Parts: sequence; structure tokens; C-alpha cells
Amino acid sequence: MSRPVLATSEEGARPARLDRDRGLVEAARRDPSSFDALYRKYLAQVYSYSYYELRDHHAAEDATERVFMQALAGLPRFEERVDAFIASRPVTAASGSASDMADISTFRVWLFRIARNVVANERRTDRRRPVSPLEDAIGLHAPDDVAETVAAREAGSAAWQAVARLPEDRRRAVILRFVDEMSTAEIASILGRSEGAVRVLLHRALRSVAEDLRRQLS
Amino acid sequence: MPGSATRNARRTERYLDGLVAADERRAAEIPVDTDMDPAIRVAARQLRAGLVRVHPSFRFEEALAARLAAAADRMKAGLPAELPPAAVAGGTLAAFRGTGAAADLGVVGAAAGESAATPSIGLSHSAATVVRGLTDVAARPRRPLIVGGVGVASAAISLGAVYVAWRHSHPTSGRMSRAVRAAHGRASHSGRRGSGVINEILGVVS
Repeated sequence: MSRPVLATSEEGARPARLDRDRGLVEAARRDPSSFDALYRKYLAQVYSYSYYELRDHHAAEDATERVFMQALAGLPRFEERVDAFIASRPVTAASGSASDMADISTFRVWLFRIARNVVANERRTDRRRPVSPLEDAIGLHAPDDVAETVAAREAGSAAWQAVARLPEDRRRAVILRFVDEMSTAEIASILGRSEGAVRVLLHRALRSVAEDLRRQLS
Repeated sequence: MPGSATRNARRTERYLDGLVAADERRAAEIPVDTDMDPAIRVAARQLRAGLVRVHPSFRFEEALAARLAAAADRMKAGLPAELPPAAVAGGTLAAFRGTGAAADLGVVGAAAGESAATPSIGLSHSAATVVRGLTDVAARPRRPLIVGGVGVASAAISLGAVYVAWRHSHPTSGRMSRAVRAAHGRASHSGRRGSGVINEILGVVS
């Protein structure tokens, strides 16, 4: 759990949060063997991001491996550079949304920046590989109830088809938001955009998905 | 004063945050801004239900954990985290120590920490160790050495042949082996009486 500390700003002292992964990151920097804890913590998130972007299990595994290898190799150079807008996140929800209260992990942002680059390279160099529909991913968590399974598959398939048709930047923002449950601030930092731009990106993405779903129903 | 696009985007964001928070506390009801487009609410709920997090296989997870642990060990030893490509690829070309060998072969540089006495071309750490272990290389003519690939296969076959020859000259002392050797020896010494010996062994009276 992160500890609130006082951070100074133009409005005076106000509480901000320390990076929630600071302990794990420092341990891994002292002893690289301790990187395993960070790896286990973020494996599913990185893998999911890669899988939704690349739509292939093998490609997602390759990308995941590259991401963690690069992260481990780059850890000694990793500096906890909290971007200004992340560092100034208030703890109270007086001026912001619930996502403002979320603990920030600079490490997670840094890891997903690596993942974004690795996946982008993979997509660029491997466009010839046929991509499969993502329906098999929906089946992985399917419950035993057949009706529920079918409903979940249909919902997942329709949702994914709609997301797959989105432009790249909107799709990426949607995956980070819905699959990896990231805050607007984190997505903005990963994508290198302002929070306002990410909000608009997500809003437009949802509007496109809504229209797509409406068309599918009709 | 924010524009309508910004206001709508903020509304959407608040709704998405509420969606996540409701899931976390298993609440059925989500606070809804009445000005929000209902179609966007439906789309958000559908994406929330449909876009699930995917976990890789346990086998992949453990294999990658092992590779990361090995990389961590390399880092602790002061080596690069990732193996150089030559170490995992096929054979590499290395030059024996000798006068002018490096210049002749156009050596591009030795591995980190390697002395100039063992020049190599794209030489991996393990291959460099093998080459460094040879003591009399200076006396030999300048020839490139193929390390890995076909060279390794050839060495393995040679070792196998040596082992078979050694086993042949050092028979085991088990009862069954002695019996087989005895039978074989009698058969070879009295080849003319082959059938008789076999009958003798089998206890058949002719």
C-alpha cells in the first residue's frame, strides 16, 4: 500500500502518493532475482495487451517475453520519473474522478511503454501473419453454464469485432482502459498524450462501438 | 468553460470509473449522469463484459520465469541480461591465436573482457572459453575453427565411437556377461563343432 506524502504545488502543500511498486522495483534493482515478483504481478496484463493487439497466442508470448527481458535489462537505468501530471494527482476526489485516486505505478507505465513499442514493432514486421478472431480468448474464462457461455461468447465477439474496427489509437486506449483497467492518467502517459486527449479518444471510441453494435443488432 | 465534447468525454470517464468501482464492490447499481448518451452506456457495459483479461499458459509462465531468472543471474555476474545472438545460433568462426591471424580474418572485435590473444569473429562467451582453454594453439598452423553446428556433431560422434571401443575392451563382470562370453569363446575356438557346442550349452545329448 502506498503512503500518502505531502507534495508542494502552486496551491500549496497537498497529499500525493508514492509509487505503489517502489518497494518491488528497489528490491529488483538491488537483486535482479527479485524481478520475479514484478513479473508475476504484471504478466497477465502485458500478455493480455499483447494478445488483444496481435490476436495470436504465439505472437503475444513472443512479445511478452521481449517486454519482460527488456524491462529486466533496463531496470538498472530505470529512474522513477513521475510525470508532472501523475505526481500531482490528489488523494482526495475533490477535483477529480475516481481514477485520480488510484495508486499510480510508474513502473507499470514504464513497462507498458516498452510493451507498446514491442507490439508496434511486431505489428510492423509481421503484417503477413493471418490474424485469428479473438473469440477463443472469450472462451478461456467461460463459465460451466452453456447458456451463459454462449451469451458471453456472443457479447465478447460483438464487442471485439467493434473494437477491432477502431482506428489504432482508439483501440489501444480501449484495451488499456477495459482490459488492463488503467486510469486516464496512466493511459495518457503510456500513449504520450494529454489526459484530455485520452478522455476524448475513449469517448469517441465508445461512440463508434455503440454505432457498430447498433448496426450489428439491426 | 469546457466545450460539449470535453463535457461529454468527462461524463463518459466518470461513468467508466463508476463501472469499475461497482465491479470491485460487486454492486449492481451504477450512478448515471442523465445527460449521458444511453448508447454509450450500453457499449461501455458490453466492452466491460466482453473484453476480459487473458492469462498465458502456466507452462509459458514458468518457462519465461526460468529464462528471466537465468538472465538475472547473468546480470549479477556482470554479463548482459540477454545472451548474444551467436550463443544461441549455429556455428561461429573463431581464429586460433597466431601471428597475423586476426588481421587475415578481418577480426571485428573480441567479446567483452576477452584478451586480444584470442581474437574471434562473432564469438560467443561459451565458444570463447573453449578456445581459451586450448594451450598449444600457438604452435599450430593458422586455420579457422568451426565451433558449434557440424563441429559439435562430429565431436559427439567421435566420443560415441571411443566409448563403444572402450566398452568392447572392458567387458563387464556380470554372471550373464560371463556366460555369454564363455559361449562366444567356445563357439569361436571350435568353429567346426558349432552345432555341437550349441547343443552342449543347451544340454542336448547327441
